[in-house]
Amino acid sequence: MNRQDVRSVGELLLDADFTTRQVLMDVTSEDAPAMLRTWAEVVQSASELWATLPQPVRGATSPIDGATMARLESMSQAMHRTQVRQGWPGDGPADEGLLHVAETLTRAADLIGRRGGHIRPTDPKVRADLDAARMRIMHTLYVGAHGVGVAAREHVRDVELSTRGKSSRESRGVPRGQDASNRLAAFEQLAGAYVGNRFARAAQGEQVRGPYGTERLQQALIGWDIQAHRTLAASPTAANLLLASRTQAGIATAAGAILHAGARTGHVDTDAYEHRLAPTLDATQVAWTHVASRWAEMTSPADRTDLDLVHAAGELRAAVREVAHDKTTWARPDVMAGRVDLGEAAQHLQQALSSAVDVACVLSDVAAQDANLTGPARAMSHRANADIDRTADRGQRGEDVVWVTPGDVYANRTVAIPEPVRAGLVDATDTLVQTAGNAMSAAACLDRVSQDRPSGSGQEPTTSRGRRHEGPTLMAQEVPRAARP
Amino acid sequence: MKTNDTIDQDAWVTLGAVTQLLRHAAVCAWAQAEAEGPRSQLHLLGLGIHTASCQAMAMLPADADLEGQPSAQDDIEQLLRSAEELTRTIPVVDRMAGTSPLVVAICDLVREATP
Repeated sequence: MNRQDVRSVGELLLDADFTTRQVLMDVTSEDAPAMLRTWAEVVQSASELWATLPQPVRGATSPIDGATMARLESMSQAMHRTQVRQGWPGDGPADEGLLHVAETLTRAADLIGRRGGHIRPTDPKVRADLDAARMRIMHTLYVGAHGVGVAAREHVRDVELSTRGKSSRESRGVPRGQDASNRLAAFEQLAGAYVGNRFARAAQGEQVRGPYGTERLQQALIGWDIQAHRTLAASPTAANLLLASRTQAGIATAAGAILHAGARTGHVDTDAYEHRLAPTLDATQVAWTHVASRWAEMTSPADRTDLDLVHAAGELRAAVREVAHDKTTWARPDVMAGRVDLGEAAQHLQQALSSAVDVACVLSDVAAQDANLTGPARAMSHRANADIDRTADRGQRGEDVVWVTPGDVYANRTVAIPEPVRAGLVDATDTLVQTAGNAMSAAACLDRVSQDRPSGSGQEPTTSRGRRHEGPTLMAQEVPRAARP
Repeated sequence: MKTNDTIDQDAWVTLGAVTQLLRHAAVCAWAQAEAEGPRSQLHLLGLGIHTASCQAMAMLPADADLEGQPSAQDDIEQLLRSAEELTRTIPVVDRMAGTSPLVVAICDLVREATP
């Protein structure tokens, strides 16, 4: 470490935090071996720094505080021992970013050891500073573990793809990487519990890593469907309706990408995809997006979204990314096929497209019947005039009516949605129900083509573990209005 | 020396700005996605940014003021990086529980948005 480094402990801690963020933002699968080699050093430095901080006076803090760091260190040591025993990732260069973090934390520990170790934290301000320092150390480990975990997971995916069909010796990086990834997930969860003030919950059930692949996708889709119905039944606010619509649009987009990959790799009938699925998925995606923009106009800056709905949407997005994304774009069809059984994924998506009709019906009912729909006066006035102009173009211009008072517009108060806005919303959701029904009908063919899929695709025939949709193959005109849950 | 109350006030204001930047980034991502068409992966990026903004919003006090002009910037990656930079000034303390997952979410989004 540079002898002329005159930074304070606080500045050093911030440096370590910012470096782990940078590492996380830049991480790729190629970084995994170096990061795994260096991670134990980061944790050891953090642990030593933690130990040099003046101990809290009795009763000033929870006894689990020190225990958490001790557990993290022992987890890291166990992981390191496994790496040494397996000879993986083996000798090689360290990760420069993480090495910098380790050195920075060591420098902070040196500073405290030489100058501040004697401090007794009786003063509340000193105690607060020490608490903040501990929190920053734990935060750094949390962000760092997430970054190393991302690298490990991406590395596993790359190795899986490049060694498919090869000997177990050549593909042994997969189980080793998975083991590292699982341990890092446990580490991240424990550190996250400390910084997120969720220790008690995390300590009760140490779920390290959930399912992945199509199982994760299936669970995320089902979880989303359940949560969307719950939230919209209890609180059909514009903010919740916006997130629900955007997420459904995301499902349609993802379904298009995954089914396209399925068609290219022989898991989905190409003709059915090109002539039935793709056009109807595009249409329903556009309809969801249009409805979402309507709800967006009705939100105010202070509106909040149900956090359970937010988490369900986040998990769904993560599950889709795991299957279908490659950094900033869609993964190639053969890459997706290497990750999951696309026939099985197609069946889960088929069920989701059926559920989407019901969600669309819920939105349609809200649009038509919910008397509590409101929006900011300026946006509502603008939308009402735009919708009136739209109907005027169809030769239906009526009398000039002031739908929102100038006073409300001036103050931009929250007002009940004007009649033309509701009419436009009802039109948009009717179109949505129609297009969602078309997509469901088109997707009904996925059951049949999955079962009749030609052999030789390199994967076993699909047997869905989830609920199988036995529903009718309705044409658009026959889509029923589902009862609200 | 700043008191805890001052730190909290500064932190809430900053978190409010982070929320606004994320919302604007989501709007930009969705606008680009709509221009590209229904198969654009930007629809899902926009969704991720929007959920991060909801996370940030959930941490704010009920009376937080989020009125104001959106950023003139429409580069999604730059907006996300600006949001991440702003979070650096938010203290990681009990009172701001939720900051760390938000930071991780934003850093993940930066990586996802960076070509």
